[in-house]
Amino acid sequence: MSAARRSDASEAVRELPPVPSTSRTSFAELSVRQRMREKLKAARTKAEITLSQEDPSPQPRRLKGIRERKPGVRLDKTSDNDKFREMPEGESHLPSKVKFRDSVKKLKQKSTFQNDFPSEEEAYNFFTFNFDAVPEKMKAGARKKNGLNEEEGVEEECVETHEDEQEEDEMDDDVHLVKDDDLFIGQTDEDLLVVKPVDCENYTEQLKREKEFLFIPSMLAVPASEKMPRNMQPRYLEDEGLYTGERPVVSQSNQNILENRILRQDQGKEWFGDDGKILALPNPVKQSSTRPPIFSLEEGIAPEFETVYRKAIKMTSTNPYFVGPGDFQGLFQLDIDICGLIFTHHPCFSREHVLAAKLAQLYDQYLARRQKNLTKLLTDKLHALRSAVQYSIEGSGDGVPVAQQSIPEYKMEIRQTRRLRDAEQEKDRTLLKTIIKVWKQIKSLRDFQKFTNTPMKLYLRKEEVDQKSDEKVYEAEIQAEIKELLEECMEEYEKKMEEYKTELHHWKSWKKTQKSKKKKKKDTRVDEESADHDFGEERIKPIPPRMANSLEIEQQVREKADNCRRKPGEPILVPELTLSGSITPTEQCPRAEVLRREDVKKRSAFIKVLFNSKEVSRTVTRPISSDFRVHFGQIFNLQIINWPESLKLQIYETTGMSSTTLLAEVFLPVPETAVLTGTAALEEIEFSSDQRVMLDHEGVGSGVSFSFEADGSNKMTFMTSGKVSSSVSWAVGEKGIPLIPPVSQQNTGIPSALKNIDAIASIGTSGLTDMKKLAKWAAEAKLDPNDPNNAALMQLIMISTSGEAHVPDFFRLEQLQQEFNFVSDEEFNRSKRFRLLRLRNEEVAEFRNYKQVPLHEREISEKIFQDYEKRVQERDVIDSKNYLDAHRAVVASYLQKVRESVINRFLTAKHHFILSDLVNEEEIPGLGILGLGLFKLAEPKRPLRPRRKERKKVTAQNLSDGDIKLLVNIIRAYDIPVRKQVMSKLQQPSKSSRSFNEMFAASPSAQSPPNSPDWAFNQVLVRPFVEVSFQRTVCRTTTAEGPSPCWNEELELPFRAPNGDYSTQSLQSVKDEVFINVFDEVLHDAVEDDRERGSGIHTRIERHWLGCVKIPFTTIYFQARIDGTFKINIPPVLLGYSKEKNVGMERGYDSVRNLSEGSYITLFITIEPQLIPGESVREKFDTQEDEKLLQAAEKYEAECTSKFPSRQCLTTVIDLDGKTVFITRYIKPLNPPQELLDAVPDRSQTAAQFLYLLAGDEEEHAVLLCNYFLGMGKKAWLIIGNAIPEGPTAYVLTLEQSQYVIWNPSTGCFYGQYDTFCPLQNVYCLISCDNIWFNMQEYDSPGRIYFDISKPKHWKPFFSRSLPFPGLHSIQPEELTYEHSDKAAALELQSRIEKILKDKIMEWRPTRPTRWNRYCTSTLRNFLPLLEQNQGRDIEDDHQAELQKQLGDYRVSGFPIHMPYSEVRPLIEAVHSTGVHTIDVSNVEFALAVYIHAYPQNVLSIWIYVASLVRNR
Amino acid sequence: MAELHLFGQIESGCGFSERRLFCKWGLHAGAAWTLLAGAGAGQTQLDDPQVGDAAQWGHPLDLHLATKGLQGWPRLLLEVWHVDGWGRRGLAGYGVCHVPSAPGCHRVTCVTWRPRPTRRQRLLAPGGPELREPAAAAGAADRFRLRTEAAGTVRLQLGVLARHMGRFGVAL
Repeated sequence: MSAARRSDASEAVRELPPVPSTSRTSFAELSVRQRMREKLKAARTKAEITLSQEDPSPQPRRLKGIRERKPGVRLDKTSDNDKFREMPEGESHLPSKVKFRDSVKKLKQKSTFQNDFPSEEEAYNFFTFNFDAVPEKMKAGARKKNGLNEEEGVEEECVETHEDEQEEDEMDDDVHLVKDDDLFIGQTDEDLLVVKPVDCENYTEQLKREKEFLFIPSMLAVPASEKMPRNMQPRYLEDEGLYTGERPVVSQSNQNILENRILRQDQGKEWFGDDGKILALPNPVKQSSTRPPIFSLEEGIAPEFETVYRKAIKMTSTNPYFVGPGDFQGLFQLDIDICGLIFTHHPCFSREHVLAAKLAQLYDQYLARRQKNLTKLLTDKLHALRSAVQYSIEGSGDGVPVAQQSIPEYKMEIRQTRRLRDAEQEKDRTLLKTIIKVWKQIKSLRDFQKFTNTPMKLYLRKEEVDQKSDEKVYEAEIQAEIKELLEECMEEYEKKMEEYKTELHHWKSWKKTQKSKKKKKKDTRVDEESADHDFGEERIKPIPPRMANSLEIEQQVREKADNCRRKPGEPILVPELTLSGSITPTEQCPRAEVLRREDVKKRSAFIKVLFNSKEVSRTVTRPISSDFRVHFGQIFNLQIINWPESLKLQIYETTGMSSTTLLAEVFLPVPETAVLTGTAALEEIEFSSDQRVMLDHEGVGSGVSFSFEADGSNKMTFMTSGKVSSSVSWAVGEKGIPLIPPVSQQNTGIPSALKNIDAIASIGTSGLTDMKKLAKWAAEAKLDPNDPNNAALMQLIMISTSGEAHVPDFFRLEQLQQEFNFVSDEEFNRSKRFRLLRLRNEEVAEFRNYKQVPLHEREISEKIFQDYEKRVQERDVIDSKNYLDAHRAVVASYLQKVRESVINRFLTAKHHFILSDLVNEEEIPGLGILGLGLFKLAEPKRPLRPRRKERKKVTAQNLSDGDIKLLVNIIRAYDIPVRKQVMSKLQQPSKSSRSFNEMFAASPSAQSPPNSPDWAFNQVLVRPFVEVSFQRTVCRTTTAEGPSPCWNEELELPFRAPNGDYSTQSLQSVKDEVFINVFDEVLHDAVEDDRERGSGIHTRIERHWLGCVKIPFTTIYFQARIDGTFKINIPPVLLGYSKEKNVGMERGYDSVRNLSEGSYITLFITIEPQLIPGESVREKFDTQEDEKLLQAAEKYEAECTSKFPSRQCLTTVIDLDGKTVFITRYIKPLNPPQELLDAVPDRSQTAAQFLYLLAGDEEEHAVLLCNYFLGMGKKAWLIIGNAIPEGPTAYVLTLEQSQYVIWNPSTGCFYGQYDTFCPLQNVYCLISCDNIWFNMQEYDSPGRIYFDISKPKHWKPFFSRSLPFPGLHSIQPEELTYEHSDKAAALELQSRIEKILKDKIMEWRPTRPTRWNRYCTSTLRNFLPLLEQNQGRDIEDDHQAELQKQLGDYRVSGFPIHMPYSEVRPLIEAVHSTGVHTIDVSNVEFALAVYIHAYPQNVLSIWIYVASLVRNR
Repeated sequence: MAELHLFGQIESGCGFSERRLFCKWGLHAGAAWTLLAGAGAGQTQLDDPQVGDAAQWGHPLDLHLATKGLQGWPRLLLEVWHVDGWGRRGLAGYGVCHVPSAPGCHRVTCVTWRPRPTRRQRLLAPGGPELREPAAAAGAADRFRLRTEAAGTVRLQLGVLARHMGRFGVAL
């Protein structure tokens, strides 16, 4: 098409050239223009024609149509044009274009100028024509021309310039047109768009078409006939008496639409039921909501998304360990109304009373029965069932399957109901009979005894009945029953017949086979016959069942009816019990009765109310009236805080003035929360007592058998019993709010978060109990669920039974969880791996540092949990076996719990970190440090003066087993006990058992006899060695000689933290102790025969325990190193050893020895590598102290520690409840036990001794000791300081005769201020009952300081003039009361401990027999009380002598151990550590005795005497 | 019996209008999930960034979960709080992110929102509305009608290890 157009254009242009050549004038110009226009016109029409010719499609003959076409064409044009523009014609191109445009303008103008009235078409064209078309064509043409012929272009240019000149007067028009020009350029975008009219279809047409596809069911109801199969009438099951269930609610119009739609379908009628309605299941909507409704406070927002405005608040550190006093919710009130008491039996009952009580009881029973009227109910039911059966049999023609099915069920039901009814009827009748019988008895009794005691009277009212109708009913009943029975019998008969037939059949077939067998056998063998013979006899021919006889049945029925039913025409008897009778006055009674009545008058009763088994109130004492009723009519208001645990009434009876006996206890049920005062009904609660009372008057007594008969037969026994009528209810507060403790309190221990929101729980279950009964009854009565009459009831029961007889009191959040679980909960919980992981995570003690949990289940052994489970089980069971003493066991378990809670608290605190725990920033070295470092480099090296190098401290976390070693340097010991010279008897031992050492020592002077005077000089007195045991690792030094040996040896012991946990907390709690035992090594010649002496040396090494030092690991841990001389703990008596000074052995230690009483050992202990001791747990505890005081204390502490950072300043301590208490509150004069003061004159010693026996730590001991000293009127202070081996500890300082004495509270030892061996190393502060003094002196070792606290330069007081002592009252009790100990229990404990220890020793010697020397044991047992009396002093010699005397030729080595008693384990440890059991001689015997001395307050001092005996030969 | 081990860190929070931020986090999972080891909730330190506005926390997460069902796949509920110069704290945003269900290392970006204060509350500032039940933000309940505004984002780096999931037919 474009090609056509182009040719078209070229045609138009070709016409141009001949024209302009001559045109010069205006006419010419005009003619040119005219021509141009004409030509344009022609071209246009031509184009139109060609277009119309080219496009054959029918086009609407409208101008618009053409114009629409044009832009589409132009598209190509412009693109062509663009191509042209791109041609490098450059300069001539642009001006020419402008010129062309101008020419066009002129053309246009001409046209308007020439015909003043343009034709309509022209006008239209002018305004709507897109002028661009022509000039473009022209341009295109011109271009071509340009390309072809330059000349022509020039010509044209001439023309145009000419035109320019001419038209200058028409400028205003030109301006306008230039604007148009711009429009032409911008119009290109719009050219691309096509505006199309909206396709639009006729609505009705559309509807018509839609109708072909769509079906709109009508909303009108469908006639029933259409829904039913042909020739069927709708049948309404409900009208027929069947329960159909409730249909879900659907609006009628929706139903109609659905029905209409269904009917259009094929087989649509299947969807309709018999009643012409759409089949529908009963309403599936659950009757009870699965979750309680939550009401939102704000409208429209889900409750969980409610927002609260919170002001920005400062964070306060929360303390999770101490809850406040608890939100006190005010008092709650429980009202207990005790109305009265009725005795149903009382010892003072006369016979008549007994009968009257029985009658009253029977009458009550009768009334209750009548109210229930079960007989009537059952009879009615029977009737209903019968008629139902009748109906269903008649209606069975209709073929209702449901009814058909239920007939046998109905029949069963009828039978059961009938049986029940008969039973009830019989009961009724017998009850009536009994009532009459008892009444007759009463009457006869009254006649017999000639007086009346009770006002009871029984009337029997007769209700006449219509004889005929009654008879009819009776007969009908009997007939019906007979019929049913017959039916039953027939059924049974048929069943039996059936059985019989089958059996007969079997029998016959068996018979046949038998016969055939027999035949065969006869043919084959004869000898087998006997074998087969016996089992052929077994089958018996079955007997056909007997047909029931109708007459028999009738007879049965009639008999039964006679028995239990009222005879027809017999009047109905209604008993009525009244209290209208008169009681015979006392004067007319016989003596026994008068006595009884007087006795009754003397008696009175009252009731105690016990709340949580504490008596809270009691009623007034009221006399028991003659009819054995007591009226109280009192209401008790109990104001309570917690949910009651129990409510109890105790019924007391008082006789006369004196004796009060507890008759019985009655537990009252705690009322439901719905039971409020005013609504609560009185309840009668029965009670009875098993008291046996015999009276000497008419009263029948309790628990005593008596008889109404004259001959004493038919004996009866009654117990005192009765009924308390009372009610318990919750009080209602002023605003009508019930004063009930919150439900959450009800079951403390069980998390009851659910209960709080559960409505049922708060309402109480009292409303549901009836429902339960109802449901039970319904289940038993087998209500017909299809009966529309029962619909409402069934609905109710369905609700109540759906979740175990009541609306579920829970809801499930994740309803389908169970269905989608991978594994069951049990299996999940069984997983050992998960359990292990969880326990480890919970930091349960056993698994706290369990390192790697195995990946597979099979790798975890079951045993791993055994310990844990055992512990959990035994947590609450107090194990008395380990403690042997109930009191101590309780204390121990209490302590264990405290310890656990403290450990848990610390564990939690462990997870609370502060910045310094996590960020370890090393200080950047300053210039000073650097300078010093440089200076050090220049320092001359002096190898002979080694400088102490600080060991690198290791943090605990990156340690593992085997990294830590305990280094123990045993340096020397002083004054070790030496072997005593053997007594004369022992000095002539048989040759073989002489001490090897003796021999050895004596050998240099072989000529001198052993008992020569110089023997003592040459003898090695003792060969001690030291054995260090720690965590079951044992190391020993070499053997040194002499009483002051020097070893200077380093022992290395590995350390293992419990559970491999090397954290600071764990290390702090290591309980292991380092035992440093000193032994004497004794060599015995083991040669049996002197003749062998020449050829070999046989010696046996024996070790004798001399003493020990115990140092707890924690002390080493905290102190980093322990360096000093310690007193060796030596038993008061060491058989065979003495501390006698041997003149010959005196060397240079006189001074030391004179000072000291015991033996000493110098040690140096440290841990390698050095561990950083943990800081104490930062925890702020609750307190009741004044805030100001605490602030002052903090300030004081800060001041003190800033001056002496190493000195500990103690102002506050934490008590057992975890509260901060100011320390001075603990100090107060206290009275020591009188017994101790009386018994021994040396008071201080006794007190110390006594303290030694207490179980507790040093601080507690120190406080108590200090208080005792104060109580004795001495000046005493508590020293907070540092001691070895205890570490930071508390000692006691006393001032005695201007000398300061330091007391070790845990051992009872005391030291002078300048004592070299005083274990107290540093003194930090002193505490008295009213002040604290901090040591401000340069030194802190006790020997170098002044104890004069009056000088503030030396001692900085806490309370001074600026802060006076506010008079803090002490928390100690006013006076201690001391209970006397139970001597018998101590004795028992003594024997038990002895047995345990003996067993243990035998256990430790598994391979050898352990023999006990009874004689020696008894001797030892006699010594022990002496030891206790003399505190182990000054009796050694007698002791030894006596022992030797008694035992004769035994070599005894042994010693007593003295310990305080807290539990058994330390005793066993102590015995074990002495190593007595290790003796290896074959003929060794042992002796062990235990003595317990009981001090007041159950403090026990234990002495254990262990000895080994070797018989001398 | 399947196990899921989740570890990683709460890296940073950025885009909040406030600067001094800390983040509380908590694990929310269905009833079938049991936390075997590790803390189920925690709080990062307060970061006052000197450069930029992203609070760097680098708070470690280490949770060992066991499950008997897939329902309630664990989610992390993040609550970002800010503390102003007076030490008062206010809510900066709630965010929930599911624990990635593919084993491996994941970088998770959790966007947060917060309830928008009313004009009155704005005037009453400091402080602002907070959810009565912050745990509800982790739930699936509809929260329309709640007027919220967008807060910044929290970046997490989560490593997931699953065990025995395949045994129960769960391919992760």
